[in-house]
Amino acid sequence: MNADETYIDQVIAQLPPRDARLRDQVAMELRSHIAERVEHGQTVEDALRQFGDPIVLAESYLAAIPLIAAPFWPRAAARLIDFFGVLAIVAMPIIGIVVLTLWREQGFLIPIAIIFTIVVLSILSAIYPVIAEYRYGKTVGKHLMGLRVVRESGARISFGQAVVRQLPMLTQVWWIDMLFALFTDKHQRAFEMLSKTRVVVAREEQS
Amino acid sequence: MIDMATGRDDDRKGIERELKRGSLELIVLHLLSHGEAYGYEIVTALTERTNGGLEVTDGTLYPVLYRLERAGFVAIRWETPQRGVPRKYYRLTEAGQAELARLTQEWNAFADAMARLLRQQPEKS
Repeated sequence: MNADETYIDQVIAQLPPRDARLRDQVAMELRSHIAERVEHGQTVEDALRQFGDPIVLAESYLAAIPLIAAPFWPRAAARLIDFFGVLAIVAMPIIGIVVLTLWREQGFLIPIAIIFTIVVLSILSAIYPVIAEYRYGKTVGKHLMGLRVVRESGARISFGQAVVRQLPMLTQVWWIDMLFALFTDKHQRAFEMLSKTRVVVAREEQS
Repeated sequence: MIDMATGRDDDRKGIERELKRGSLELIVLHLLSHGEAYGYEIVTALTERTNGGLEVTDGTLYPVLYRLERAGFVAIRWETPQRGVPRKYYRLTEAGQAELARLTQEWNAFADAMARLLRQQPEKS
């Protein structure tokens, strides 16, 4: 791929994944501005140097679009949807094991199954959002509630940020972290402030 | 990439950058008041009109133009050539002209006040 298209891709990658309109708009605009410089006798590299760091450029564009902080209750609902989704997936094989052991009269396996469920459930409840929020900017729960996760600038979050966001879920005091969202400026959890991310209302395909 | 600017040199540049950022919309609206232009023309016009005293990179200018476009102060037009990449033209809207007048007045009031302040000598007692 050419240097200019690689650069444009790097900028676009920071924009909301589902906002095709914005992505097209910015790509078309950048192509146009690069062409202007080339027509005035400059190289593509000169033009790209003028644009600077692709992530900073993407964030400057995003600064033009106001972000609306997601309210507390839709966020809580999204979290519950994700939790029960994971629970349903984890529970099915577990129930199978329990039924099987009762049937074969091997009751000692039941506590093991219960502990196994709790461990797998808590790990998956933390891992699923990391992957989903990093890849798609949202989980199924957030999608259903019309929310998405972004950097404070509005750009796409990094993998590291996605991990830090979920760290409290591995502890017993995740609810303290969650309560922060009731009182902070942008309705951020403590670990969202730490990871410089926030949850906003998704507004796709609008001008 | 960002948030790394903690050195002293960067601090001084930071002040200049903040000043520029605050006045950039005014600069762009003013340049467009001379008539419709495309991006590269705006960049070079700024350098020429100020003899290089003020310069802006594309990476700074275009997000500002995008913000002004979204705010309705600037209207755009795409011109598609026979062959090659379409070119984006910018021009002021009526709302943009009103905003330009407002920002110009604000800027002049600020500059006057600053000039008055900086002219004052320390009083000797």
